[in-house]
Amino acid sequence: MATTIISSPDAVRFRYDDVDHAYHEQRENRLTGIVLFLVSDVVLFSMFIFAYCYLRSSVPNWPPITQGGHQLPRFDTAFAEFNSIVLFGSGATMHFAMESWKHTNRPAFFRWLIATIILGAGFLGGQAYEYSTVSITWAGSTMGAAFFTLTGMHGFHVLVGVIFLCILGLQAQAGVYTGSKYFGLTAGTLYWHFVDVIWVALFFLFYLW
Amino acid sequence: MTVSSDALQHGVEDHIHPAPEGFIRKYVFSIDHKVIGFQYFITGMLFFAIAGSLAELIRLQLLKPEGAIMSNQAYNGVYTMHGTAMVWMVIIPLVTGALGNFIMPLQIGARDVAFPWLNMLSFWIFPVAGAILFASFLVGAPNAGWTEYAPISLQGPPGTTLWCVAIFLIGISSTLTGLNFMVTVIKMRCPGMTWTRMPLFTWATFATALINMVATVALSGALAALFMERVFGVPFYDPARGGSPVLWQHMFWFYSHPAVYIMIIPAFGVISEVLPVFARKPIFGYKMIAFSSMAIAILGFAVWAHHMFTSGMAPWLQLPFMIVTMLIGIPTGIKIFSWVATLWGGRLHFSTAMLFAMGFLITFTFGGITGVYLAAVPADLHEHGTYFVVGHFHYVVAGGSVMGLLAAIFFWFPKAAGRMLDERMGHWTFWLFFFGLNGTFFPMHWLGLFGMPRRYATYVEFAKIYPPAQLWNIVASASSLLMAAAMLLLFINILRSLVRGRPSGINPWGARTLEWTISSPPPYYNFKRIPIVLGLPYCFDEPLPYRNLDNEQDEIPKPHSASQAWMEATA
Amino acid sequence: MGMGPGFWPVTIGLTLLGIVSGILIGILPLDYLLPSSSLNVTDRGADIDFLFRFMSIIGNAIFVYVTGFVIYFAIAFRRRKHEPIESIGVQIHDLPALEFWWSIIPTVILCVLAIMSIRVWYLVQYGTGAPAFAVEVIGHQYNFEFRYPGLDRGIYNEMHLPLGRPVRVLVTSVDVLHSFWVPEFRLKADTVPGLVQNLNFTPQVAGTYLIECTEFCGVNHSFMQAKLIVEPQAKFNAWLDAQKKTAAVAAAPAASVAPSGSLALAGDAAAGKTSFKQKCSSCHKAEASDPEQDGPDLEHVFTNKAHPTLVNGQSVSPAHVAALIESGYKGSGPEAMPSAQQTGASAKDIANLTAYLASLK
Repeated sequence: MATTIISSPDAVRFRYDDVDHAYHEQRENRLTGIVLFLVSDVVLFSMFIFAYCYLRSSVPNWPPITQGGHQLPRFDTAFAEFNSIVLFGSGATMHFAMESWKHTNRPAFFRWLIATIILGAGFLGGQAYEYSTVSITWAGSTMGAAFFTLTGMHGFHVLVGVIFLCILGLQAQAGVYTGSKYFGLTAGTLYWHFVDVIWVALFFLFYLW
Repeated sequence: MTVSSDALQHGVEDHIHPAPEGFIRKYVFSIDHKVIGFQYFITGMLFFAIAGSLAELIRLQLLKPEGAIMSNQAYNGVYTMHGTAMVWMVIIPLVTGALGNFIMPLQIGARDVAFPWLNMLSFWIFPVAGAILFASFLVGAPNAGWTEYAPISLQGPPGTTLWCVAIFLIGISSTLTGLNFMVTVIKMRCPGMTWTRMPLFTWATFATALINMVATVALSGALAALFMERVFGVPFYDPARGGSPVLWQHMFWFYSHPAVYIMIIPAFGVISEVLPVFARKPIFGYKMIAFSSMAIAILGFAVWAHHMFTSGMAPWLQLPFMIVTMLIGIPTGIKIFSWVATLWGGRLHFSTAMLFAMGFLITFTFGGITGVYLAAVPADLHEHGTYFVVGHFHYVVAGGSVMGLLAAIFFWFPKAAGRMLDERMGHWTFWLFFFGLNGTFFPMHWLGLFGMPRRYATYVEFAKIYPPAQLWNIVASASSLLMAAAMLLLFINILRSLVRGRPSGINPWGARTLEWTISSPPPYYNFKRIPIVLGLPYCFDEPLPYRNLDNEQDEIPKPHSASQAWMEATA
Repeated sequence: MGMGPGFWPVTIGLTLLGIVSGILIGILPLDYLLPSSSLNVTDRGADIDFLFRFMSIIGNAIFVYVTGFVIYFAIAFRRRKHEPIESIGVQIHDLPALEFWWSIIPTVILCVLAIMSIRVWYLVQYGTGAPAFAVEVIGHQYNFEFRYPGLDRGIYNEMHLPLGRPVRVLVTSVDVLHSFWVPEFRLKADTVPGLVQNLNFTPQVAGTYLIECTEFCGVNHSFMQAKLIVEPQAKFNAWLDAQKKTAAVAAAPAASVAPSGSLALAGDAAAGKTSFKQKCSSCHKAEASDPEQDGPDLEHVFTNKAHPTLVNGQSVSPAHVAALIESGYKGSGPEAMPSAQQTGASAKDIANLTAYLASLK
């Protein structure tokens, strides 16, 4: 074939001279996709956080006063602190799991991954416990509406994350991922850290503020 | 750096997947971006017909001050469904789903979007959402207007809940499409297509995708809360239970103002493609147009509360929103002036697409100017919630988005179908639409200023203080029939062309973006060889800025030889 | 570059057209666009009309230029029949000087407009500083209620304002969103339940005007109008006095005090006691044997000399008590009382409760 010489040093981009180009192209696409998905997820949480702040700032007292004239109780910070430590701990174990994978230490990877799953499930259990003990209801007040909606959404994200991690574990077990191709694990880690970060905001908003 | 094109082709051709076999995989659950674009187009046009008929019902009702054909209740449902359907089921799916899907990957030299399966999912949510929306007529249509302000929407008929579900679903579809397009534009441009060589329609699609991805999620949040409040009684918006009706407005407009840009920016992109081609002249101020699309998209997130100047938000907040809103006028003005300057010194070919693009310049400019009237807080105190607003946004949406959409249909139909539309019928379509549009929406401005509020099923009291009210409403109603006739003519034109339109060839217009270098309709894989881009697609005195093209065997094509057929047809 | 045939004459012509039509917009009364514009019905309305005039002059010039040039280019640069299809236009990509000016000039104009708007906005929001006569507007589905100082019942669907005196209109709503709009005044504010907005202006022309609701409020939205009468101070005072007399003489019409018409029903004190236990006793004490509560004691509400008025400042009469039970009370924080709608008290319950409280002499 005739060789056409192109000289355009500033502009021409090549991504096709790599033997693994298909994989890398897909990986890049998916990574960008995951990041953008998380951005839009942040917007979703932000909307409800905005709603919470708005409703909170539009009444003189918070927690609000019910129609019966009673002020609602504040949330139990002590238990939530404990539960938060569980969730943040799971973030750390996820980090270690990923590091182990990168150092091709598979047994350590599985240990850390299982620890992450257990901690994540533990957080969900803790949240279920809190739901059962808290004295306000979802439909009872704006505080309940914001609290249950936001923590419920977050809990749903944790639940999805736990399932996601279980699937990743099974896939890793089955040999889907290799030392250099492990995009699923990267995505799982990103998602899991994202869930952690959201919780920081929620913890501040509901328990400390 | 010098590289041989042999090296470039390595590992490229082996990438092509075989086209799917079988009707279902080919036409129904297709993952091909072009087929999905057609699906969006057909579904969107179907909903367009329904929503347009609802508009005619509105115009019929207003023929008499006391209401000509239906009860208040029915009328409230009709205009709510008209607005909802036009925004979410017609304009947004057509300009992002149909145009974006079909054109954008071709323009960036890609074989498909980044996530084809996701794309198919996005599309199939759309007809389902549309069916749910129109099903609400069966259980009591929502009636509080397309904005569904709380707390009246909390008391609305059962259809309001279906409305929530339908819009939530279409919102998910929009978000996924936005995400998909973002990744596609960021990651899948062909070699050499730098950001400053991207065609302007692709720039517009990119800016739109950003808004779609970010803002639509906010709408999902607002709708989820409305749904929860209606169904489970969770207090967000009901003032009697500690909620705030103004909160709904904030959450709704945080999406719905950017949604205006979702509707108009793709039309900007279309105009930016059509004008240079038929002026035979580079687009004037390429970078300014591209940047102002992004500026509008980003500033668009900081202006939502200008819909709420009378709504009872903190007074001091009104000022920043007014100022940012006025700021948006600057990039918009720059775009308009640049388009007008694109015509300056050109060789103008008056194809139908060009007529629509030039009509757009006039109607959209008018809509933009009345937008400034609404941005100034004190003037808005008079105009808010009146027919002035209705006139303004119809000039922007019908005179902007729909004009852009029609330009796009006449411009890209030959590429999509491989057959030309009839230009003579096209000219009729344009003039009917243009006069119909102005006749319908122009009188609304002074009707509003004289005191006609929107969403009034009857206007007896208003007609007493402003006797010509009925006359102008009759003018508007009569003119709206011209628009309906234009759409009917377009429909006939499309059907006729599909049956016995003249073959269009590769490049009937002498256009220079990448989609005009491949056959019409494009093959399944779009590009057998991924092209290489060397420059902007708007320099008519230079050879095409591409290498490695499928049809030209790396030869430099003559720019306009293909448009001979079109010239003969229109001579 | 070649400007094109007749470029300068066209440009000058369009400029002249813009200027001449701008001058016409500037000096002609705006009555063809805005109702009663030349009368200056209110001071703020006149300010808004001035803004409108300013925007119209600028907007008209821009529209004349854009449309004029589009049409001129369409004629001057159309491809002639004899020109080959390959012929191309001037290959020019930009003109930085032109782009600079068409970015800067609109920016400056918008700045001027913003400054002018801020001034008017301030006057509408906060008034001119002169003491203002306050009138409350309350939106109901589907009528307007107006409340005047010193008149403890609402007037429905007819608003009176004194001529030439600064007015502050306070708008709110009891049910859903409505909007208070007087087209001739150019002023509008949504009535939002739980929020009070205000509009400050001075009516300058006596007459009868139309008030319209412009925020969708339900099936009969398009029937929601009211009459506004601007009249000289003396006439206004006479009207207000007459209203006060009517209010004092007749027991206030049930419709205006307790809209559900509870007063028309004869109350049963015994049934009222039961209702009180169910609906009120968590906050109020009614009999000596009841436990102390956070809310005010209602033991001798009709005879208590220490508290001659109700919490909302009205005198203690059965009508007012019933109205208060019906409407509830929105105080700040703990002293809030839910409305009858929230407690689920029917008109009959309200009548019973009132009878019960009245029996606690």
